Amino acid sequence: MSMQLLLFQVLNGVGIGMIYFLLAAGLTLIFGLMRFVNFAHGAFYLVAAYLTFAVVQWTGSIWWALLIAPVAVAALAVVIERVLLRHTYKMPHEAQILITFAIALLLQELVIMGFGPLGQNVPVPPQLAGIVFLGPYVYPAYRLAVVASAAVIALVVWLVVEKTKLGAILRAGSESSEMVGLLGINVERVFMATFALGGALAGLAGVLAAPLRGVEPFMSGEALGIAFVVIVVGGLGTLSGALAGGLLIGIVQSIMSTLWPQGAQLMIYAAMAIVILIRPAGLLGRF
Amino acid sequence: MSEIRFPDVATLLVVTVVAIMPVLMPMTLATSIVIFATATLSVTLLLGSAGLLSFGQGLYLGIGSYTTGILLRDHGFGLMPTLVIATLAGALSAGILALLIVRRRGIYFVMLTLAFAQMGYFAVLAAKDVTGGENGLTGLPRSFAVGGMTIASPLSFYLLTAVGFLLAFLLVQRLNASPFGSVLISIRENESRSEAMGYDVKMFKVAVIAVAGGIAAFSGALHAVFLGFVPPSDIELEISQRILVMAIIGGVGSPAGAIAGSIFYIVVSEALSELWARWMALIALALIAIVLFLPGGLWSVGQRIAMARKGRSSGG
Repeated sequence: MSMQLLLFQVLNGVGIGMIYFLLAAGLTLIFGLMRFVNFAHGAFYLVAAYLTFAVVQWTGSIWWALLIAPVAVAALAVVIERVLLRHTYKMPHEAQILITFAIALLLQELVIMGFGPLGQNVPVPPQLAGIVFLGPYVYPAYRLAVVASAAVIALVVWLVVEKTKLGAILRAGSESSEMVGLLGINVERVFMATFALGGALAGLAGVLAAPLRGVEPFMSGEALGIAFVVIVVGGLGTLSGALAGGLLIGIVQSIMSTLWPQGAQLMIYAAMAIVILIRPAGLLGRF
Repeated sequence: MSEIRFPDVATLLVVTVVAIMPVLMPMTLATSIVIFATATLSVTLLLGSAGLLSFGQGLYLGIGSYTTGILLRDHGFGLMPTLVIATLAGALSAGILALLIVRRRGIYFVMLTLAFAQMGYFAVLAAKDVTGGENGLTGLPRSFAVGGMTIASPLSFYLLTAVGFLLAFLLVQRLNASPFGSVLISIRENESRSEAMGYDVKMFKVAVIAVAGGIAAFSGALHAVFLGFVPPSDIELEISQRILVMAIIGGVGSPAGAIAGSIFYIVVSEALSELWARWMALIALALIAIVLFLPGGLWSVGQRIAMARKGRSSGG
């Protein structure tokens, strides 16, 4: 592998890894507070990717999608939380997992009803369709923009979680939501806000990913599998774990796609198995 | 509620259903039902007895299918040795992966089962030379000689798969009633306490995961034999989800729930798929309704009726 190619693949890996981070960050936030794994998370990403496709079709511009899709998915997440999930908080974890799984199935079917079962391409925005020169190397501008925008989003999420009052409540709630409730904070509202935030993050991941990989109705299962791998590798409950896991998995996938294209996806899971063998708690895990 | 000893009403009912199904519906439909009921038993055993929710039993179903395809087509094995080896292959691979999976507890279990199921699918795609990649394995033999009998007609395939299901059903029922099953229940109810009582919780989990993997692989082997080829969909995530949905709809409180769920899912999908291609949306809604309002699944309706009748007869 030449230096040019290696650098290219590592940068690609960082780009994919940042999208994986956004996906896993939403899952981790929801788990941290509510202690259940949201199986509809991949479907949130799917819905956002298709909204991006639709917005690009209507307006010819992806920029609107960057605003509309995360907001719409956050609203969808809140509706789902209000209508269905809040009835399951007293039930066993299995019930919550199965309900979110059923919601994922339903959303997938709705997407197929609306857009058909076949995959579609989403064009890269014309402003970012070119290449940029990084010293002596060339690189696609859109991929660089993905890395940059995901980094900005990561920074914002980190600031929200670490520096704002909502973040403080979130972190306290992940220790004991009962205690937070006793302190006079409306826990139900916090749950709603967390679900909205998690949905918005999955939505942003969907928007950024759509031009890279196109859209197809079954991308939700794949995304969910990868988000789980990222969380197992990085450790559940921390943003830094999601970031470390996302980057590691993205870079492994990207480099392997040059060395052994048909086995690149396989190696993601092999990397996960190795991490469990060596460090069962994950790289930076709390749980 | 006292445990009713074998042979109980549930067993009798299941045997009756298996016996009359081929009269009520096309033979191929009945065969699919018993094959998927067998697969569903692996979820029922894990979730119902040990409280382990698996999103990845399709991995072992696929391992059973592919082992069967390779042994029958490329190595000229007979039917019975193939079924045995395929089952053992599923149990062994489940046991090995379980050694990794039980290193993480609780919520990680669910995520790891799904992740390893995905891994199996991508492994099949990567090992194209052996597995046929996206084309699967075609050209399996369509007739088998077992102990002087020939298995080639639709009825003989049904008998083979129905006997296979009943064996798996009795195995799960016997396991639940055994001391091993009692330990699984104690792990389900309180893992830390079971550990404090001196049980090697991890090894019990590995053992039950291996048995469930063997059952799923056995159903996969029957599926490949029945179809005459190995479709790659046998190892996709969708098949793991399908058998999980069957298990939840039927109910995991009793192994009989497996056949109830399989009948419901396959009959509904067969009836609706002609009318509406997106029938899966209705299955999703049914799943939500069952989780919210009928946590014991369809089978528990029968149990409730039986309990109510018993209560009435003993009370008055």
